[in-house]
Amino acid sequence: MKILVPVKQVPDPNAIRFDASGTFASSTPRVVNEYDQYAIEEAIRLKESGAATEVVVMTVGPASARDAVNRGLAMGADRGLLVVATDSDLEAADVASIISAEARDGGYDLVLVGQETSDGGSGVVGPQVAAKLGVPIVSNVVSLEVGDGKLSLGREVEDGRVTVESPLPVVVCALTGLNDPRSPSLKGIMAARKKPVQETPIASYETNGADVSWGKLYAEERVVEGTIIETDAESAARQVVELLREKKLV
Amino acid sequence: MASGVLVVVETSAGDIRESSLELIGPARSLAGDGGVTALVIGSGVDAAAADVAGRGVDRVLTVDNEALSHYTTDGYTAAIEAAIGQVDPALVLLAGTTSGRDLGPYLAARTDSVCLTDCTTVRWDGSTLVGTRPVYQGKMLTDVSTTPSGVAFAVLRGGANPVAVAGQGSADVEALNVDLGDSLRVKVVDVAVPPAGDSSLDSAETVVVGGRGMGSAEGFAMLEELAAALDGAVGATRAVTDLGWRPHSEQIGQTGKVVRPKLYIGVGVSGAVQHTVGMQGAETIVAINRDKDAPLFKLAAIGVVGDLNEIVPALTQEIKAARGK
Repeated sequence: MKILVPVKQVPDPNAIRFDASGTFASSTPRVVNEYDQYAIEEAIRLKESGAATEVVVMTVGPASARDAVNRGLAMGADRGLLVVATDSDLEAADVASIISAEARDGGYDLVLVGQETSDGGSGVVGPQVAAKLGVPIVSNVVSLEVGDGKLSLGREVEDGRVTVESPLPVVVCALTGLNDPRSPSLKGIMAARKKPVQETPIASYETNGADVSWGKLYAEERVVEGTIIETDAESAARQVVELLREKKLV
Repeated sequence: MASGVLVVVETSAGDIRESSLELIGPARSLAGDGGVTALVIGSGVDAAAADVAGRGVDRVLTVDNEALSHYTTDGYTAAIEAAIGQVDPALVLLAGTTSGRDLGPYLAARTDSVCLTDCTTVRWDGSTLVGTRPVYQGKMLTDVSTTPSGVAFAVLRGGANPVAVAGQGSADVEALNVDLGDSLRVKVVDVAVPPAGDSSLDSAETVVVGGRGMGSAEGFAMLEELAAALDGAVGATRAVTDLGWRPHSEQIGQTGKVVRPKLYIGVGVSGAVQHTVGMQGAETIVAINRDKDAPLFKLAAIGVVGDLNEIVPALTQEIKAARGK
């Protein structure tokens, strides 16, 4: 079984701060999108258990996104693919086209992708890759077992835990809870330096251009006129109870 | 000429998923002169279809098949594509459930069409479809727009629109015959409904929710005390149930429960979209967090910035005193 893991480099969601104009500091650290780390970890575990023959980590992004590929290699993936694009080139449907072209040409059996990203966060890439490849999509996956030519997958959805069986090839979207992603070891980081990373310009892929355009970012207007309390705990508690009493909630 | 709106109504064990009913209001304003058709998908959906028919739609289609008793992308895709063929809508609206978030982009990619996902509102601006959606985990909003050449898809975030009320006319219900054959590639083999646990969470007037900021399973002891002082129930975010600090039955959000209490108190909860879809219907929201940029503060009538380990016990004390406990 050959596995493709598409990942995305995103601004660290714990560090990102927006100013009034809707922009954030270019110095905001970049990290591998959290859900994608679960996808990488699961793929590496399948390799370690002998179920997978090769794990390839792929990203579409600026040249600096190579760090995201390198992290996957340091965790244990075999090789990397970097499709170099400027930020403005990136529209989810285009990214899905590129990933599906790669998955088709590379003869992958499993595309293991994070459920959604912490930046755009629309979660469209997994379903769109599946549709373009003509293979099934199984999302919100929290457990994965390999059977004979098929996968048994646990999904966490509104009703609880649903177990499904899917033939291969398939696109699987990883949710947190699937595993506990490892941190790269020093040995892994050293080994990663010798692993091949193929760089390709985005122009070598067929994309349709932006179908959906994004406007400026802006802050949500306060839904309610709220009171923000920033004082010592005892006074804060008194004020909260006073306000709740006015609303007849205490 | 394509016109009107097709609303996809999901069911589970014959019951309508409530967020599907939040689509009817927006569909009405998006349909213009075209009609609003509801498509009810599932197994044994007669009662569900009759219910939807009375909630202000012009027409109801059903695809009723035992193979659709549980969601699969293939099954729902076949049903929706059959209905699109029948209705020829300009727009298909889906609820932002785990299923709807699969289906919108999947259906769009199958026909090289477009999908706006996770929108709180969607409107037509001439022939351009404009949606407002939260990005960066709810920290910011943006307007996404697209000028579709064929049928367009939009997925509306749960809890962002009111549930359509009953007693609004009675539309005709028509069964659509869809031959699924052996087209369902993914098979559902088991559905494990989590133990009800403290089922009072669904009906509690006060809900006290802890997030990752609680720091440990033990940290929830103080939330139980606060909830007890308010005769309320304890809930948790997905991060917390992932970590095993609390059972899945207490999870509120995208992959858990949707609650609409009178009072919601979020402690150490950042307020990511995945959680807020499950609680934004609360009447009064209180946020306690050390990070004053936490998105939950934007929804909060009362926000307390500071150390939850000091604030929660003080608040519990104060509430007990106020209620004479």
